[in-house]
Amino acid sequence: MNRFGLLINREIQTSKRDLSFYALTLFLILFASETIRSFVSQYSQIAFGPATYASLFPNFLFLGGLIITSLSFATDMFSKNGQQEWLMLPATSLEKFLAKGVLTAFAYPIAITVVFFLASVIIEPIQLLLFGNPVTLFNPFTTGIAIQFAVYWVWQSIFLLGATYFHKGHFLKTILSLGILGIALATLFLLFVKVIFSIKYGSSLRTFDIVFSFDSLLFKPASGVIGTFRVIGKILYFVVLPLFCWVTAFFRVEEVQATDAV
Amino acid sequence: MANEIESGQTNLTEVVSTNNSVILMQDIGFSYGKTPLFTHLDLEIKQGNIYGLLGKNGSGKTTLLKLISGQLFPDEGFTSALGFDPMRRKPAMLSEIFYLPEEFPLPKMKATEYLKMRSVFYPRFDNLMFAQYCKDFELDMQQNLNEMSLGQKKKLLLAFGLASNTSLLFLDEPTNGLDIPSKRQFRQTVASAMTEDRTFIISTHQVRDMENLIDPLIILHDGKIIFNDTVDSITDKYVMALVTTDPQQDEKVVYKEKVLGGWMVLRQRSEQEEGNEGQPLDLETLFNVVVEQSTRVQGGMR
Repeated sequence: MNRFGLLINREIQTSKRDLSFYALTLFLILFASETIRSFVSQYSQIAFGPATYASLFPNFLFLGGLIITSLSFATDMFSKNGQQEWLMLPATSLEKFLAKGVLTAFAYPIAITVVFFLASVIIEPIQLLLFGNPVTLFNPFTTGIAIQFAVYWVWQSIFLLGATYFHKGHFLKTILSLGILGIALATLFLLFVKVIFSIKYGSSLRTFDIVFSFDSLLFKPASGVIGTFRVIGKILYFVVLPLFCWVTAFFRVEEVQATDAV
Repeated sequence: MANEIESGQTNLTEVVSTNNSVILMQDIGFSYGKTPLFTHLDLEIKQGNIYGLLGKNGSGKTTLLKLISGQLFPDEGFTSALGFDPMRRKPAMLSEIFYLPEEFPLPKMKATEYLKMRSVFYPRFDNLMFAQYCKDFELDMQQNLNEMSLGQKKKLLLAFGLASNTSLLFLDEPTNGLDIPSKRQFRQTVASAMTEDRTFIISTHQVRDMENLIDPLIILHDGKIIFNDTVDSITDKYVMALVTTDPQQDEKVVYKEKVLGGWMVLRQRSEQEEGNEGQPLDLETLFNVVVEQSTRVQGGMR
């Protein structure tokens, strides 16, 4: 096994107990959720829907994944006692960084998908026996899951940067920073729109609501100028932003030293 | 910048091969925030010795070890460890350095699993040697690391470090947490693991635990190395003696300490005292002498 493989192995070995506990908790939540839904369906005579796995999957993918990503560097970079072993481990800073980055960005979504699928394979026959529900296995090969993976890749990179940038409270500080950044950008956008519209329409400017979401902005087909902007937006969102976060996070890892430990 | 470092590295490799130096620090400056710790610090460590790093609390012993191993970056100056720039933390350098910190967490796993996971990073790790050290330290490899006491963990990491066969071994307060038999075992094991191509630096307050093990000594005081030499270099020039009268008037006395039955004094050797071994000079006294002299005379004893 090469050095990078050894680092991956170290990451898995050191957190396998916590991850096993997490997987077991996830299974129990899915089982409990399915069982409660079955009870409700049986006694309220409402038809049983197949939506449990698909509705819970994004929660575990994003919330779990982003928390794990936020904590991935906490001990190795910022713990006074724990930092030393990682810094002195015979591998390059890039290898150490990538081992954590790859596991949280790619291995975690795959692992959680496998856990969801296996959980459905175990839970569904039990539900069939107990309540006579139809067997509906979790299907990971859908466009919705693929889009969630793509969006997770973007947000994971942001939280990866937060994990290496903040010395403690990584997850909450990243959310807080995103909130502040969001408010600042929205204010700038609002000012920009006000100015542009004032120039064009003068004092007869009327306010109106604009409702949009990232999904509609990025994934609905469009042509012409809007289509071009959408492609540029996609490149910025899915490629430039994550790469910027990964590169910046790596530089933080490379320059970390004992004085950063808290 | 990179070229400067590379050329520095080449020069230093030459220095290592000719002068037997494994660590070289020149004009090092380091501060914690605005509080300076080291100013113009110079240090040379030669291969094949067990160095004792002594200093008062807060004198910077651990900081010095971290600067040498690349865990801290100096504000100024030049550092080389085994011909490498420590700030780059190259795997080739890291695989030749083992650092045993004073405090450390270990993952929740069995000792055997830990060994399997970590030993692969050290190309010269010797499993047989490790098994022998564990036997000497009475360690159970099937035990979970989180169930081990601090002393047991320390012995495990020490056995690991010695078996890794790295060229440099930094031990930061290694006898803290060890019971009395383990301290003796520690001295024996370290002495037996020592070879000509290895260098140990042991930072400690427990000088009595290290008696007859560490030599030369490095003494840190007021942000500088005030002593970097062998114990013999002191005993060649000075002699320790027990006197019954107050040696206040004796100009040759450089250090005195009130003891039962008189004063223990360290005085410059006179011609008549050539060959007189006097009382044995313990490390604690030597440390006190050097620090006291350094306070009187800027620059200390070299």
